[in-house]
Amino acid sequence: MGMDSENNNLSRLQCSYASLDEAFEIGKETYRGQQYSHIYFARLHLMRTLLYSLVSQWKPQTPVCTVLGLEEGKECVIVGTLYKHMKLKPCILDEYSKERSAVPLVKPHNFMHDDDYLVLEDESGRVKLGGDLISPSVFVTGIVVALHGKETGAGDFSVLEVLEAGLPPQIEFPLKSREDKYIVLVSGLNVGSNNSNPLQFQLLIDHITGHLGDEKEQSIASQIVHVVIAGNSIDIPRGLTNGQNLASKDLSRIAEPIKELDILLNQIAAGLPLDIMPGPNDPANFSLPQQPLHRCLFPGSSAYNTFRSCTNPHSFELDNIRFLGTSGQNVDDLEKYSDAKDKLEFMERTLRWRHIAPTAPNTLGCYPYTDKDPFFIESCPHVYFVGNQDKYESRVIKGSEGQFVRLISVPRFSESGVAVVVNLRDLECHPLSFGTQFSS
Amino acid sequence: MASVSGSMKGFYRQKKNTTKSSKKAPANAKSDAPQLVSHADDDYSASEAMLRQFDMNMAYGPCAGMTRAARWERAQKLGLNPPQAIQTLLNSGKVQSESLWDGRI
Repeated sequence: MGMDSENNNLSRLQCSYASLDEAFEIGKETYRGQQYSHIYFARLHLMRTLLYSLVSQWKPQTPVCTVLGLEEGKECVIVGTLYKHMKLKPCILDEYSKERSAVPLVKPHNFMHDDDYLVLEDESGRVKLGGDLISPSVFVTGIVVALHGKETGAGDFSVLEVLEAGLPPQIEFPLKSREDKYIVLVSGLNVGSNNSNPLQFQLLIDHITGHLGDEKEQSIASQIVHVVIAGNSIDIPRGLTNGQNLASKDLSRIAEPIKELDILLNQIAAGLPLDIMPGPNDPANFSLPQQPLHRCLFPGSSAYNTFRSCTNPHSFELDNIRFLGTSGQNVDDLEKYSDAKDKLEFMERTLRWRHIAPTAPNTLGCYPYTDKDPFFIESCPHVYFVGNQDKYESRVIKGSEGQFVRLISVPRFSESGVAVVVNLRDLECHPLSFGTQFSS
Repeated sequence: MASVSGSMKGFYRQKKNTTKSSKKAPANAKSDAPQLVSHADDDYSASEAMLRQFDMNMAYGPCAGMTRAARWERAQKLGLNPPQAIQTLLNSGKVQSESLWDGRI
């Protein structure tokens, strides 16, 4: 870091960057009309191999068997994929059984019901799960677990204990860094929406690029080494995207938000590395993993080598600290089908289940992979963030083998004016809020 | 239309459900493959029979929607040790590359 004594020029700190998004890129896959049975098979096989090795330490005396091999009254361990039968879950067949009405049926925000029950399934068969120790409100379809229990006379499997895969192994956190380096996480810019305030984002950009404040504030800004935008950067007016032919003035209205975003991102990319992830409202594909936003959308910013368009989910390393983040779809889907005290708890569960998006492909759109499941978490991240949430929240969770993860819920910037800053030295994080209210 | 003399029971053969009351629904009967009945217009050779056994083997996952070679590669990649003989047969090129369900379901 150089200080020119005459002009007092501050120079920005730097950090090493490595992208781990290769697993989420679909370029090499070819679609041959396959369905989703293959991704479920890959997931089951991958996680069952893992769980079998854990089961031998968890219940060394209890035999392991397949679902079809269950015998009544005999205690054993079974491993399989959970399926949650939900009464209120919307079913495509409802469109045919109910009368068509002009007004669509009101859909509840959460589809849980007291009558929901869990079923465990492997290649040989499926069995309904009973007992008080397994609560359907915590689980969702698509998780692979090991269950210890026994079959009852009624044909259910009465669960005594549940074993989840647990946090994956983590690479060591580099302890040698002594200086403060910050990464800024922001999401839900919604450029082009009626509710977004362009001044707020401009203030954020000015702060990051050091155009705001006195020397002290600028020196803080010079310690920001990276910016990640976690989805929903633009908001195209809804009426324009319903498939009808557009007049030329409407065509330019569609392009306005993205042009505006490019100009804004140009300012950031000129100063420091920037990663942009697609979100549910962005012009990218719908199903996970979302592919990087095309560089033709950013003619100005993509000229810089600091500008990186990334996949969603996004996995990368900064100074050997591993980051993993999504634009929110995984946690939002979990919220519809299960219950937790806060968003961070959903995030913690996905880590303990070792799967970023267990509800994919059941209720969350996903690519039909045939021989792998890229959402399986092999290595535990140090920082796990989810974008487009209602509010900023953060906490640290610990694993049984000394892993620790900073969980961060990044709020929608257009609504809250809050971005999140994480210190790479110790993974402390704090919100950075921008307001444009002037008290009279 | 067939004349229905007496009760309908003779028309539709009914089978008593003799299986034990169990909520388990076997997706496939045990580990040996189901009997493959050959019809006159459905001749297949011994190598096709071997490939059909490979298709039906649950250990290697679902077979519908992928070529046999791709499924063999997947089994190999996941460490399931599929028999080398199957791959040699598939590479020889004289056999059907798609699974037995191709075009049928």
